[in-house]
Amino acid sequence: MNPLNLSRKQLALITLLTPTSLFLLIFFIGPMLIMLTYSFLEPGLYGGVEWHFYHWNYGRVLGWADGIYEEFDPVYLKILLRSIGLSVATVLCTLFICYPVAFWVSTLSAKNKALCIFLMTLPFFASMVVRLYAWVLILRNSGFANQFLEATGLITEPLNLMFSGTAVIIGMVYIFIPFMFLPIYSSVEKLDKNLLQASEDLGATPFTTFRRVVFPLTLPGIVAGCILVFIPSLGNFVVPDLLGGAKVLMIGNMIEQQFLYARNWPFGATLSMVIIFMMMIILSIYLYKSTKKQAGL
Amino acid sequence: MKQSISLKSSRKVKKALAMTSIAITALGFTHSASAEETLSLYNWGEYINPEVLQRFTEETGIKVKLDTYSSNEEMLAKLQAGATGYDIVFPSVHMQDIMAKLNLLEKTNINQYSGFKHIDKNFLNAESDPNGEYCLPYAWGTVGILYNKKLVPELNSWADFFALPNDGKNIAMLDDMREVISVGLITDGKSVNTTNRDDLKAAQDYIIKQKHNVSAFTYDSIPMVQSGDIAAAQWYVGSMLYVFQNPDDLAYVIPKEGATMYQEDMCVLKSAPNKVNAKKFLEFFTQPEIAALNTKQQTNGTMNTEAVKLLPDSLRNNPSINPPAEVKAKLQLFKELGKGIKLYDRAWTKIRTS
Repeated sequence: MNPLNLSRKQLALITLLTPTSLFLLIFFIGPMLIMLTYSFLEPGLYGGVEWHFYHWNYGRVLGWADGIYEEFDPVYLKILLRSIGLSVATVLCTLFICYPVAFWVSTLSAKNKALCIFLMTLPFFASMVVRLYAWVLILRNSGFANQFLEATGLITEPLNLMFSGTAVIIGMVYIFIPFMFLPIYSSVEKLDKNLLQASEDLGATPFTTFRRVVFPLTLPGIVAGCILVFIPSLGNFVVPDLLGGAKVLMIGNMIEQQFLYARNWPFGATLSMVIIFMMMIILSIYLYKSTKKQAGL
Repeated sequence: MKQSISLKSSRKVKKALAMTSIAITALGFTHSASAEETLSLYNWGEYINPEVLQRFTEETGIKVKLDTYSSNEEMLAKLQAGATGYDIVFPSVHMQDIMAKLNLLEKTNINQYSGFKHIDKNFLNAESDPNGEYCLPYAWGTVGILYNKKLVPELNSWADFFALPNDGKNIAMLDDMREVISVGLITDGKSVNTTNRDDLKAAQDYIIKQKHNVSAFTYDSIPMVQSGDIAAAQWYVGSMLYVFQNPDDLAYVIPKEGATMYQEDMCVLKSAPNKVNAKKFLEFFTQPEIAALNTKQQTNGTMNTEAVKLLPDSLRNNPSINPPAEVKAKLQLFKELGKGIKLYDRAWTKIRTS
């Protein structure tokens, strides 16, 4: 029938897997390999790369000097640590907001639940940049937040809310809340209410019920939400630019600076690879743990 | 440069779009050619009077397409990533020199054209093009300080500017590596094109000392100066447009220590699909009334000496737009620095992380 003598099942498998594999090859593996290659090349004088092996890039991330132009200074590690700090803060804030809200939404009627989910996804219909500019109007000195606080008499002088680490975290929490809410909600929704009843009947205090029943059962949603928020916030450069006034430098801004103003594509690629490796480690641990748990069941 | 303030959000939007289009062009996407006569401009946002393009289409029948960018580097990166289909770009002088070295520019011999006699030869600033064989000088201006007169009655110098936070007033600077470091160099009396480590270190330390007083590094300061959230901001002379709209509240000044100036030239790309039309546009733009039409809307400077005579008095005799010779002498133009850019990158990173 066919030249390779493949069974029907094998043929079906090949037909089904080829598009996905090609997609991953072209849009994931390919760009990654280009970036990995560039991170070991010499920067071209006017952007682009020179095709010579260049070993300075990764050492430079740790602080060693790039040729004669610098002295030892772990400035990039500092930026990386600050980015991680801001991202962790974003994750914690979104978690504390979304976890209780998810429980509240799960108690609503089916119609109201659908409405809440719809409202949660509604912001995706407008550009992120436009929504961030709305926050500029809210947070600036003559903005709504300060006007409100002054009207209530809580403050007499406007607070400097804009252009600070706080403003960056507010912006990122706002942007990434849906990414935290949706996975948590899906695991809270699946939670069997009979289990709570059973726990109570067996004499557990509400706290014990939460610690021993609710929390472990919703943990997959929490972990998925945390990863979904942490990864994009670590690479974000628009929020720190707009709400941080470029004074709060994150690793995403640094990558942008390297590619455009410093005309150093290889170093930009190196910084990007560092983030990707960090993400891959986090995701591998997550996958390893979750598959082990499934196997254990 | 960067007159894109009327679309306050445009820069980031454009940046996001540009990133996408870099990706698309890298995949080999090119603009489709059409049968009718066209011309594709790739310019800074809001950096040409739309009426000029309209007049050109009316006179020649050539349709003009306009794409915009928000920085020299963005434009170069896009062209390096393989973008084709553009005919004319508007690089700053130092970027023109880079593009010449990368062999991206087409020789137009625009200096042979009769209209070129109107161009002030002092503006043939590109080292790669001392006679104007390639590009036509387009526009120039200064980078000074825009301030809110209700909060700051008078402001004349960078020293005044940096003293404002002591009275609880907010200041902002541009989110631009070389413009910010230049302020440090200028107040020290150094060249803005220095690659001397000690000079740069001093400028870096000067800016770092001021940094906690600077509210933000941003291009979006105009609305905040208008509202008074920011008392004064480093900005381009293009902000004069807003000063004219509201002369009681706003003012723009070239600081007495000196300032940077910018100059963009109009260049035809080697990869241009419509080279003949592009040359026609350059020739069209040498007409004094066309250059004046553009300058009136842009509130910056023109190199067309005949066009200057056609400008309304409010522009021609405005010391901020057309400064007297002794102020002009204190203006510095950016040069291409080659590897020296690494020193600026390092200083800028340190400023931003300090």
